[in-house]
Amino acid sequence: MTRRRTSKRVLLVALLVAAATLAGILTQLGLGGSDRIEIGNGSVSALARVARSADTLPASILAYPFAGRNFASAKGAGSRLLQTQGSLSLFAVPGKGGMLCLIEIDSVAETAGGTCANRDVLRTGSIYMADRQEDGSRLIVGLVGDGHTYAEADGKRTRVDNNAFVLRGVDGSDFTVGSPTAAQTVDIGD
Amino acid sequence: MQLRLQRRCVLAAALAVALALTLIPTAGAWSTRIYWWQRNMAPNSPAADWSAHNHTYNELYFGPNAGWASQVWEVTPAGYRHFDKRCVGNCFNRHPGYYYTYSFCANRAGSSHFVYNCMDEW
Repeated sequence: MTRRRTSKRVLLVALLVAAATLAGILTQLGLGGSDRIEIGNGSVSALARVARSADTLPASILAYPFAGRNFASAKGAGSRLLQTQGSLSLFAVPGKGGMLCLIEIDSVAETAGGTCANRDVLRTGSIYMADRQEDGSRLIVGLVGDGHTYAEADGKRTRVDNNAFVLRGVDGSDFTVGSPTAAQTVDIGD
Repeated sequence: MQLRLQRRCVLAAALAVALALTLIPTAGAWSTRIYWWQRNMAPNSPAADWSAHNHTYNELYFGPNAGWASQVWEVTPAGYRHFDKRCVGNCFNRHPGYYYTYSFCANRAGSSHFVYNCMDEW
């Protein structure tokens, strides 16, 4: 009788553990983990094209401490001009230790910015910068890996061109980058 | 007796599922926590310098292989935020010196990654 009661308790505990495990797995698959969707393998074909004179980074960028700490070469070797929109220019630069860098320069606003991150970020999202504007909206510029075809925020979609995108006037706290078959949401915060 | 046990099992399983759904965080839920550092500080030390300057350059450096959400920004003594840049990993922001501000850096990944440098220039 005692043995039978003990085996029932063991069965009950085992059932509880199994149920909790199943619930945890379902939670991760159903409610979370969407930011782990992968697109491409992190390669950036824009960096492989033949260099042009316009690809050279301005000397002012190379003079910042950021360049010495992050760029693979002190002269920014391998940089490529990805896009120019009005006074805004975007460059990709090979970084140290497998990092990739995105540089933005606005010649009219007299601003510049840069971000360098591990190349693996490109498989699950974008190496981006989101700059708060004086009107409260954000200007988002991003570098994406091969396979990404669009970026979208606030219901407005823009095409990825040369592994880069520009989203202007973004009021939301996230944006999406994607391919024809998959999408990744990137949280930029409030 | 058999029926009573099955009912208990079903009830217990339902409670376990509810508890698990409540306690197990969904992916990304950690991102609401923000760790921040003020300019020119030693890694992981508390904010110390509260002198405003007419800044023109801010930089956050974690080290190689950085890949988490980060941020640099400035705040005037009156509390207005300017030159707020959200980024990924190491980043910098160069801008004209329009305001006297304090500058800040943040790791927005929700964990205390080592910050090698949070610097600014004016």
